[in-house]
Amino acid sequence: MRTWLTSLLVFSLCVAFAQAAELRPPAQVTAGTPFPIASNGTGEGTFYLIGPAQISKRKVNLGGEISVQGDEVEQAGMYTAILCADQCTSVHFYVRPAQTSRLSLLVHPSRVPVAASNAISAVAFVFDRFHNLVLTPQKVDFKVVPPGGAAISQSKTTANGTAWIRLTSARKGGPAKVGASIGDLAEMRVVQQVASDACNLRIKAVPGPKGIAVETEPVRDCSGNFVPDGTVVSFTKTDASGKTTVDAPIKRGVTQVEMAVSGPARISVASGVVNGNELSLGGAR
Amino acid sequence: MRKLAITILRRLILLLAAGLVIVCFSFLQSQIHAASEAPKVDLNPDNVGPRAIEELTSKTIARDYANSWKTMAEALDKNRVDLLDGYFTGFAKDKLTQLIAQQKQTGVRIRYDDRGHKLDALFYSPSGDAMQLRDRAQLGIEILDGGKVIHNEEANMQYLVLMTPGADRWLVRDLVTTPEVKP
Amino acid sequence: MMKRVLPIVLAVATVVFIWIAWVQSGGIERHRMFSARSPEEAVRLLLTAAKSRNWDAAYSRLANAGEVEKAAFARDLGGSNGSLRTYATLENFNVWGLHADNQEATVRAKLHYSTAVGPLDDVRDIKVRNDGSGTWKVVWPTSKVPKLAPQVIPVNYLRWDVINRGAEDDWGVQNVDSPQVRIVSMNALQRPDRVVILGEIVNEDTVPAYVNVNAALLAPDGSPVAQETSFDKISHTLLPKQVSPYRIDFPGMKLQQIKSVRMDAKAMLVPATADPVIAVTQQRMETDALGKKVLRGELLNQSGQIVNIPHVVASYYDANGKVIWVSDGYLDQELLPQIPVAFAVDLPDDVAGKVQTYHVVVNYYQKNNS
Repeated sequence: MRTWLTSLLVFSLCVAFAQAAELRPPAQVTAGTPFPIASNGTGEGTFYLIGPAQISKRKVNLGGEISVQGDEVEQAGMYTAILCADQCTSVHFYVRPAQTSRLSLLVHPSRVPVAASNAISAVAFVFDRFHNLVLTPQKVDFKVVPPGGAAISQSKTTANGTAWIRLTSARKGGPAKVGASIGDLAEMRVVQQVASDACNLRIKAVPGPKGIAVETEPVRDCSGNFVPDGTVVSFTKTDASGKTTVDAPIKRGVTQVEMAVSGPARISVASGVVNGNELSLGGAR
Repeated sequence: MRKLAITILRRLILLLAAGLVIVCFSFLQSQIHAASEAPKVDLNPDNVGPRAIEELTSKTIARDYANSWKTMAEALDKNRVDLLDGYFTGFAKDKLTQLIAQQKQTGVRIRYDDRGHKLDALFYSPSGDAMQLRDRAQLGIEILDGGKVIHNEEANMQYLVLMTPGADRWLVRDLVTTPEVKP
Repeated sequence: MMKRVLPIVLAVATVVFIWIAWVQSGGIERHRMFSARSPEEAVRLLLTAAKSRNWDAAYSRLANAGEVEKAAFARDLGGSNGSLRTYATLENFNVWGLHADNQEATVRAKLHYSTAVGPLDDVRDIKVRNDGSGTWKVVWPTSKVPKLAPQVIPVNYLRWDVINRGAEDDWGVQNVDSPQVRIVSMNALQRPDRVVILGEIVNEDTVPAYVNVNAALLAPDGSPVAQETSFDKISHTLLPKQVSPYRIDFPGMKLQQIKSVRMDAKAMLVPATADPVIAVTQQRMETDALGKKVLRGELLNQSGQIVNIPHVVASYYDANGKVIWVSDGYLDQELLPQIPVAFAVDLPDDVAGKVQTYHVVVNYYQKNNS
């Protein structure tokens, strides 16, 4: 019995001495902040730190504290610390993001027709100074400044580092400023609110040097905004010589084309999928 | 008689050896094949907001995320930064590029044995230009220093993924492990 | 003796070799055709010279050389001002007589050019005259190229320039969005040798768009069977609210093989200008000299710059306003300012019967800013 107990004691001691060195990281680590990892054991070992964008390897003395520099833990996420002496032991710990210091603001679209319901979206992503998404809830203040109007504000709390809002464009065209802020951090974007499709597209014909000049009335959308210059207006004339089409852009609010007419003719106008009025001309010119 | 028995035995041993070689070769082949295949990715698009995921986008996301893991594992295993170009961009690419540079510098290498991913779409931006997902991944992780394995584990990892659309595919823009591991 | 024989043999051999080389290079034919004995021969001779761009030789075949400027003649056959014909090669031609008497004949020539945008055919009815000695010569049309009087044409149309986000800019920094385009109609047709997807696309935005339409034919299980793009059967650059037809061909496919079609319109924001405005005048459906149904008309470049290579894309509608065909054609002639140029694009006979109306858009390529 004595022999058996002695053997057990010796075996336990051997196991205790042979046990690999252990690592004890702190419970909470913040990105970019130096911290120590406690180790036990004696002698020398190799310490490895493996993170999302980081691999460190160095010789350390066991039993003391292993210093981890701030630049070794800049990325948030899981890290694996490994200590190898006779054997290797490892431990995982998480690095959480540092304080909010960047705001990515995605505002879409950069151009939007006026009076379009929920057509503008603003999404804010909250990052720390190492580009880690800050996952703890943060209050983001969104602000919209329409052209010539009063600013409208709305607060949203981030979920998984993200907050968003949707907006309806104003009835009046022009640039609207869309911003987001957290404390002193602020980002601003500009959305161009542009005229919608042409409304009540009308043409008139007057004699011109090469036949007749067909001209639109000032082209506006249904909210009264001028359709931007460069927008194409299609004129179609049908007479004895066949059909003539001219795609001409709006210039200074109106479009004008000249057409030769032989005999009775019909002239119609369209812009995109919007049709305008039709003119019937009686005689030759 | 004894000579005949020895001859038969030799032939049997040769045959067994040949069989063993063939079996080993097929096994290796299957392993290589398995390594070159993209991992299985299941995407749950049901709880996403504010925008619903289009059917085609849902397929594309699963395909591209699987390919991103395949190329990441290969890039880390072979220390090839160029492989990251296909499916990574932004912070995720920067981080992995840095990781590979450090692998080269230290001689340490991370090897993933990918057993599959369960993706939950969390956020799909109203304009369709960003998607955030949670990935519950089953991985075999091996860390080697030179040829020596210094860490080996079977892990259930949880990632928060940010993907953004590229010209013809979705790219991983951010990939970060998060602590709540609930397999 | 041997001393004399050798030089004689060498001299004879040299003469024989020179004769063989002359025959090989078409000398006999040239000699035979130098004085063309038939109207067809006269046209063939002229076109053979034109094929090798030997304008002098071709010009010498003209019966009315005094009325036609050599430069204008060379321009007519060889192109000018960076037009498509200047980049084209006359590959071959077919010639056949239409009618002839002892003094005059009309010969139809079908010229096959090869160009960067595909083969180009030019059919001409050429008058040929007997000079009295039995030699036939070509009477080249003397139509003068209209010249515009020197003038200043003020052009003050809009131009759109684009400054995009830089590659080094952070993600989330504001960028300009791609233009909003929409496919307004789509029609799938079974043609004898192919499936054709056609329709129209509109730029709904306030900025120009470079558009391309892709289509994928899907099998009953949803897998793509074939994918194609509109390639050049579309007007790629669309100004705000401009509409373009598109056509996508799937050679060898059958409609029965597919369950649905997946359409994808891609649009890029590109710098563009609203100039030149090209009017499409006198559009009418006709039957051409070869008996094919064609849509004819004239293009009138209203700007002050030369349009080097015009490209016409036409959509045809049935009585219900549905797009039933889209055809296109390149003009091998440049568009000079204010000078009308005729065009014709063909369409299948079975489609022509159903056409109620049509819409033509003009795409163009310019040397300086295509």
